[in-house]
Amino acid sequence: MKSAWLTCWLAWPRPPLAAAPREPVVAKAATQRISFSGPQARALWQPRLERLGEAALAIELEMVRRKHIAATVLWTGYDGIEALTERVRAIGLEARPIKASLGYAADWSQDASIDEPKRLLDYAFLIGAAPLDAAMADPAAEDMAETAIRFGYPACCAESWANHLRRGGSDPLARVLAREDKTAVPAHTALAVLGLGPVRHAPCSTDCSATRDRSRPFLDLGRELGFVEEMSWLEEIAGWTVGASLVNGVAEITTAAFRCTWLSDEGPSQPRLAAPARRPEKRKAAAIELVDSAHVLAELGTGFESAGFASPFAMRSRFSAVVWEQTAALRRATTAVHIGCGDGLLLELIAQTKPKLRLYGTEEDTAAAEAARQRLGASFPVLGGTSTDVFAVLSRLAPEGIDLAFVDPEQLGDRDALAAISAIARSIIVIGTDRSLRRFRDIDNLAATMGLALLPGRAARVSATLSPAMDRLH
Amino acid sequence: MTVEVRPLGDKCNIKCRYCYQEGIRTAGNVPTRYDLDAIIATLDRLGEPFSLFGGEIMMTRRSDLERLMQLGFDRHGGVGMQTNGTLIEERDIELFRKYRVRIGISIDGSGPLNDARWAGSLAATRRATARIEAAIETLCREGMPPNVIVTLNRMNAAPGRLDVLCDWIGFLGSLGVRKLRLHLLEQDETEGGEGLALTAQENLVALRRLRRLEQELPSVEFDIFTEMAAMLGGDDARTSCVFHACDPYATRAVVGVESDGRLGNCGRTNKDGVTHLRASREAFERQLSLYRTPQADGGCQGCRFFLACKGNCPGTAIGGDWRMRSIDCPVWFGLFEDIETELLASGEIAISRSELRPDLEAKMIAAWSIGDNPTLHSLLQPADST
Ligand code: SF4
Ligand code: SF4
Ligand SMILES: [Zn+2]
Repeated sequence: MKSAWLTCWLAWPRPPLAAAPREPVVAKAATQRISFSGPQARALWQPRLERLGEAALAIELEMVRRKHIAATVLWTGYDGIEALTERVRAIGLEARPIKASLGYAADWSQDASIDEPKRLLDYAFLIGAAPLDAAMADPAAEDMAETAIRFGYPACCAESWANHLRRGGSDPLARVLAREDKTAVPAHTALAVLGLGPVRHAPCSTDCSATRDRSRPFLDLGRELGFVEEMSWLEEIAGWTVGASLVNGVAEITTAAFRCTWLSDEGPSQPRLAAPARRPEKRKAAAIELVDSAHVLAELGTGFESAGFASPFAMRSRFSAVVWEQTAALRRATTAVHIGCGDGLLLELIAQTKPKLRLYGTEEDTAAAEAARQRLGASFPVLGGTSTDVFAVLSRLAPEGIDLAFVDPEQLGDRDALAAISAIARSIIVIGTDRSLRRFRDIDNLAATMGLALLPGRAARVSATLSPAMDRLH
Repeated sequence: MTVEVRPLGDKCNIKCRYCYQEGIRTAGNVPTRYDLDAIIATLDRLGEPFSLFGGEIMMTRRSDLERLMQLGFDRHGGVGMQTNGTLIEERDIELFRKYRVRIGISIDGSGPLNDARWAGSLAATRRATARIEAAIETLCREGMPPNVIVTLNRMNAAPGRLDVLCDWIGFLGSLGVRKLRLHLLEQDETEGGEGLALTAQENLVALRRLRRLEQELPSVEFDIFTEMAAMLGGDDARTSCVFHACDPYATRAVVGVESDGRLGNCGRTNKDGVTHLRASREAFERQLSLYRTPQADGGCQGCRFFLACKGNCPGTAIGGDWRMRSIDCPVWFGLFEDIETELLASGEIAISRSELRPDLEAKMIAAWSIGDNPTLHSLLQPADST
């Protein structure tokens, strides 16, 4: 952002100035800390804010020239001093340095160094008709209200600002923002720190009518100087609803177009000003019911040792990987069986992936078969008994045959069983368990050792389809 | 600085009950289109390594995703990717290998332990969890173990379930997972999330248990403990954003590259559904205020761990107001205390107990006041070497 606004900016508020060195950090930082609510808001308002800043500066100088106010204070960096003095001189006014303050590290040019500290400072200039008394911006305590009036404060605001300064305050908006009652802060007041114009003094309250009355002449003068569009934007802004708060000495103003923030010097030494902004109480969701860890373990999967796994986690993870690898095959299938289904975990995972699949399980161990029935519910038959009986029942239940049969060949033991399965299943999927993969390193090796041929795939896969060329099993 | 590329913004295929982005999605602020050229132009300008991020990054069209991966690989030798893992498919594995994608997967536990990452129904949730577990195991078997991000919540880390969580982490270690990142659940984020958060005390108990676990499992490392120890040692060059005086107006530690290529902030401080653009200047009002605000008022005044912790992530601030310290303060404080004790016992320095602390704090405050944010490491160097 390059503009006159940023090489030279209005002090906020007008003098008398606070004793604390809050300027120029606050006005400059607040300006540079504008955070727009979106790209459209930025496209529209960033250039407008810059032009409003320039208009405010021109109007302020004109007010001094016309002697509406005694003087004003402008800030600039070291490199802006010359331009500022020239600009002021051109309209017959004088500029006098009254204060300097360490600027922002990010603004320091590459070549500026601590050997040349003057280039690291920002400078405040009093601007007025000659001869200028530099002390007028920082008057003695007894003159403060009077000085404020000469700088354009309404009497009510002059009095309250003087009192605030005497008590050691420094932020003109601290009291306004920290109010407990949430009457909306007028937008021009809340945004005054950005140097947009109409409110240039510290207002005594959010509803000070004298402060409101001061905007009219400002807008009129602006239009007279040719800032017609700018003044209409200001009128638009006046209608904005703003959120304004001060929490632990950090102020934040939020509008629909942007938000900005600044560190108020009014921090811990002050009495606690505001309760932190809390979000509205939400309806509490029903408390989560938690079963104990024994139930969790059961739900994770039981019988992992006999199924050939090192832990319930390993079994669940592996079966999940099998389902994941067989996504395409499962998508095409309408029926599937898990031979030796244990507690039914693989079938459950398959059902979660493809609920319409007709699923069967077989399990010789009666306790495990019972666990499987528990897990799967009544809609999936889990067949007990020895393998030969089971296959007979299975072919009766699914006379049209079964699309996919998942098997752990190691557990199946002999090739006769495999042949029996291939008689009823169109496709056999071999699963690697911890036990078998530890023994045979990978699934291809496992199959080769058992004299089985697999369809090709990733070497690291944990399941594979038996080659249909295994007709010789019959 | 971490650069997070977010072509689809906060768009996600599952809706974790506690996700910090839920508010944004509820507000309807999710981009429907993205401009890949603009994104790439921004990445070129930044010239920094980046991570693919979301929402859920894997919802991006594969060919576009591949272009981004390739860009990361060509420029920086690889690219990070944070995903919920549910959309990874077998064909993606070669993509990950080819472009050296460093994958981070979020999951809170096996099967039912991950139920807080809700996907609409119980069956859909369990299906999503199974896909995540499959992706982790597969990536490990393929020699590309992912980092795993675990959010502690009532489902996986309630007192009665901690042992199960630890056993599961042991299992991940046996698969080959080396790094885990632990997140604390934001305590009052989404409506559904409210029953899920652990109390500060429970969080502390869980984290202490996990720290012991880390010592029992030499192959597994939890970033958070390592980083906290590094911070206390004044070695903050590589620790994560939460320890680096994050400014919610311009989250320097995390920069988002959004769907139209513009720069965004880290979304964790976004509480009202408005994704504000970055301010042109980073500043440290929050830390300056916390340093001088009494703890009773939501500040950190007098805390000996302030240099290391700095009030922590503003996205976790008390009451959702970024100006307050982290609601997880008791957890941070307790862990810092543990780690401090151990550092001192082994004869190492802890800046919290160092006589240099007042001086370091003064230097840090002075630097923040003028908008500067030096590392502790640089402040600890002897003056003549800088
Ligand atoms: S808001 Fe929190 S998570 Fe985001 S960058 Fe800041 S510290 Fe990191
Ligand atoms: S431990 Fe708590 S008090 Fe201390 S710095 Fe962190 S948040 Fe602040
Ligand atoms: Zn008044």
